[in-house]
Amino acid sequence: MANVISDETIEYVGILAKLELNAEEKEQAKKDMASMLDYIDKLGELDTEGVAPMSHVFPVHNVFREDVVTNGDDRENIIANAPESRDGAFVVPITVE
Amino acid sequence: MDNILSLSAVELGAAIKRGEVTSVEATRAVLDRIAAVEDRYHCYVTVVEETAMRRAAEVQAKINSGELTGPLAGVPVAIKDNMCTTGVLTTCSSRILNNFIPTFSSTAVENLEKAGAVMIGKTNMDEFAMGSTTETSAYGVTKNPWNPEHVPGGSSGGSAAAVAAEECFYALGSDTGGSIRQPASFCGVVGMKPTYGTVSRYGLIAYGSSLDQIGPLCKDVTDCATILETIAGHDPKDSTSVKTETDFTTALVNDVKGLKIGIPRDYFGEGLDPEVRDSVMRAAKLLEEKGAILEEFDLSLVEYAIPTYYTIAAAEASSNLERFDGVKYGYRTADYNGLHNMYKKTRSEGFGPEVKRRIMLGSFVLSSGYYDAYYLKALKVKALIKKAFDDAFARYDLIIGPAAPTTAPKLGQSLQDPIKMYLGDIYTISVNLAGLPGITVPCGVSREGLPIGVQMIGDCFREKTLIRAAYTYEQARGSYVRPGKEA
Amino acid sequence: MSRQYETVIGLEVHVELATATKIFCGCSTAFGGEPNTHTCPVCTGMPGSLPVLNKQVVEYAMAVGIATNCTITQNCKFDRKNYFYPDNPQNYQISQLYLPICRDGGVEIETEEGGRKTVRIHEIHMEEDAGKLIHDEWGDCSLVDYNRSGVPLIEIVSEPDMRSADEVIAYLEKLRLIIQYLGASDCKLQEGSMRADVNLSVREVGSEKFGTRTEMKNLNSFKAIHRAIEHERNRQIDLLEEGKEVIQETRRWDDTKEYSYAMRSKEDAQDYRYFPDPDLVPVMISDEWLAEVRSRQPEFRTEKMARYKAEFDLPDYDIDIITGSKRMADLFEETTALCNQPKKVSNWLMVETLRLLKENNMEPEDIHFSPENLAKLIRLTDSKAINSSVAKEVFEAIFQEDVDPEAYVEEKGLKTVHDEGALRAAVERVIADNPQSVEDYHNGKEKAIGFLVGQTMRAMQGKADPSMINQVLRELL
Repeated sequence: MANVISDETIEYVGILAKLELNAEEKEQAKKDMASMLDYIDKLGELDTEGVAPMSHVFPVHNVFREDVVTNGDDRENIIANAPESRDGAFVVPITVE
Repeated sequence: MDNILSLSAVELGAAIKRGEVTSVEATRAVLDRIAAVEDRYHCYVTVVEETAMRRAAEVQAKINSGELTGPLAGVPVAIKDNMCTTGVLTTCSSRILNNFIPTFSSTAVENLEKAGAVMIGKTNMDEFAMGSTTETSAYGVTKNPWNPEHVPGGSSGGSAAAVAAEECFYALGSDTGGSIRQPASFCGVVGMKPTYGTVSRYGLIAYGSSLDQIGPLCKDVTDCATILETIAGHDPKDSTSVKTETDFTTALVNDVKGLKIGIPRDYFGEGLDPEVRDSVMRAAKLLEEKGAILEEFDLSLVEYAIPTYYTIAAAEASSNLERFDGVKYGYRTADYNGLHNMYKKTRSEGFGPEVKRRIMLGSFVLSSGYYDAYYLKALKVKALIKKAFDDAFARYDLIIGPAAPTTAPKLGQSLQDPIKMYLGDIYTISVNLAGLPGITVPCGVSREGLPIGVQMIGDCFREKTLIRAAYTYEQARGSYVRPGKEA
Repeated sequence: MSRQYETVIGLEVHVELATATKIFCGCSTAFGGEPNTHTCPVCTGMPGSLPVLNKQVVEYAMAVGIATNCTITQNCKFDRKNYFYPDNPQNYQISQLYLPICRDGGVEIETEEGGRKTVRIHEIHMEEDAGKLIHDEWGDCSLVDYNRSGVPLIEIVSEPDMRSADEVIAYLEKLRLIIQYLGASDCKLQEGSMRADVNLSVREVGSEKFGTRTEMKNLNSFKAIHRAIEHERNRQIDLLEEGKEVIQETRRWDDTKEYSYAMRSKEDAQDYRYFPDPDLVPVMISDEWLAEVRSRQPEFRTEKMARYKAEFDLPDYDIDIITGSKRMADLFEETTALCNQPKKVSNWLMVETLRLLKENNMEPEDIHFSPENLAKLIRLTDSKAINSSVAKEVFEAIFQEDVDPEAYVEEKGLKTVHDEGALRAAVERVIADNPQSVEDYHNGKEKAIGFLVGQTMRAMQGKADPSMINQVLRELL
């Protein structure tokens, strides 16, 4: 295996992705990620010098909405699935220390 | 009427219109079938029996009054559980959406409802469409109706199996890297991924937004064209949806004379099961007999499609799945200490291992210092792959090949080695990268008794060429035994 | 302190655009409202929802870019900025990193020394605003309101070209005026429709290298910006003088306590994993579209100043004040168009309007009376239907409640009494009642007549024409 994923990397990616892995999952994740990256490194064989990265396959552009209000008060529906809500707002653990 | 269940969607629609059967009877028949075999196959996450029966009666009244006249009016349908359906649990087969009741329906589902479809339920899938076996579902494994020891394929395994097991008349699936075409092949049904932008993605819970497309899983090519005609169309709510002609049923023509068909040598090399190869080649030859011109060619870059796909899909997924955080909907962990702990516990408990694996990979390839080497590189290779197809379609009207290297593997065999599982997508994935349409049509049964599908790939927005070729092949092939006929 | 330091400041200015709807959905951008009443699946990040770009946002961003001398990126795209926070429903913000809509511009400001300098603009990009968090300290929780989520913003990123708080304020005022003239935003700092983050570093005078910078957030007024800059400059100099290092970090300014603190968390990696948003397609700005937006650019301040001088011959001081606010300039022009009395309109704006703004602690942008009513008031005074002190009283009512002056004067019975008989009777009574003043007048004390005019006006309950009183008084004395 060419790629070696460190504990720090897994820790860091866990912070980015908001995932908490136990020791066993971490070891597995290190292995999985390393083998996937080895596999992805195959792309390095291709010369892509001067190739424009393609995010959209078709040359579709300028898709717009007119600036007209179309939505009314839909609060009841919006809040309907909230794990916790109060007074029409979503409730989360306090965000200031 | 006897044998309602064996009718195709269009046949049933016609029978309802002629008054030979009602939508209520057809819906009852499907629900009874589900009650009888669902334990064995587990195609559904949710079955909405009461709602379906009520809806069938409403639809039948509208058919009687002449308000609904379309070919699919009154026909029961199953919807993959990653499409939002108003008032009906939508889980993406994930624990993190174990209680999510959407307040709006996806445009594709709305289009079906306008045409008088009766939704029976939501089909099982790989969690967030990440997988090729429907084994990563948080709600149990779906089994292949041809042999319940085998997987139905994935990620639209529930939809494909439900059609094969006659637990619905047709189903919608979604295809990000082969998730319609591969399970269609494994379950012996027709499945089509339209050109990117043909069917609105609004209401489809995203996996890889630049690759996802909704399409039909059904019993024959006529159904396929009819369903696609119903669900396709420009949607102002989806910026990537395209204005294009959608009269797909006009292409149900039994004629391929002069059609130039390319056979990519790269799709018939190492790793392809000889039985699958022979079956697919026989299908190609059949088209040749009907007047098509076959030619082998080198597509090139095939082995780069999978790493390109996994980089792009994982990156997009890592971002698309950030919204599942226990704040607005879905699962929230029971005990937590502060905001970030709530996020982490909710997501770690809510997502399964394959989803976590892809989120981690996607977060990594986008992270500071790696973006250019991985993500940007993949977007460049994607451009090369698109170019390779452009070159091919300059010479051929369509490309023919297998949908998967093997028939359906046994349950429990695929998940141990992710890369090996990913390799199973080799013939389907580049179609998504290039945004092309692809259709799988059953073309044979292995000695083991498992179905084999042939895949036809068309140029962008050339669905009608595909439908014509697939229809002609289907007519030449003759009847195809579905597993619903067993015992 | 033996060493001399120079402050180096760059600004990131967020401006909420004055669109009717949000950037990616048809929800209203109206301020206020009960929590989550201006929301939909798109701006609350519901699964399956997709964004569709509001065209007006692009046009406003282009207009600001043109007005600040930027190059417009004719093929621009949106990117996702990924970070977890509850005010951000998707946990990514749709913004622009790789191809922002405007680049390489600049505006000219006046420096303290009276010179001019250009503050360069690195880029302007479009993005969506976040929702609002309301903290319940006792409940140990925060409430999330997505009414502001998806409100369109432009972020104007300057180069580190400013050297003092005054230059920063001058730059902000310049931007604000340009954007207000365009009608692209009302740019109110207090209400958050204009927000500035200050990037600041210090270096020894003469040094070529920039020092380590910090980013200061939560600056809600020009005064807060001023104080925060002074404070941060001193904090960094103190650190350097003590031989310590400045840490590159984001700090939050607390204006009531007048100090800042680092916003740091181990859960906050500041690695935003930007990538092109696959849900949105590129924005291609054709030469024609660009020309069309350019042709619609309004007259800006410099042009307006020259025109006011030529067309209305107003004093420079008046022109400076009136054109210093888009609202004032609009009021001036609209009222003048109605009554054709530019000097009188200017006087009402320069004297009474400014006085009332100051008394009520308001900005010119808060003015809400209509040009029609000011024009009517001017007509009432011209026709001597009301006298000037009544006019001031009526103007206050216009300023506060935009009353119709004709109806108001009628209702309150404020019209000047032109009945000469009644006036004569009043003057005769005043003369009879104030023999001392009459005597003073006859002894050559001109001032005494002022007192007698005042007494007569009082007797007439303020509704007399002062020049007429004067005339009758002189006649009868």
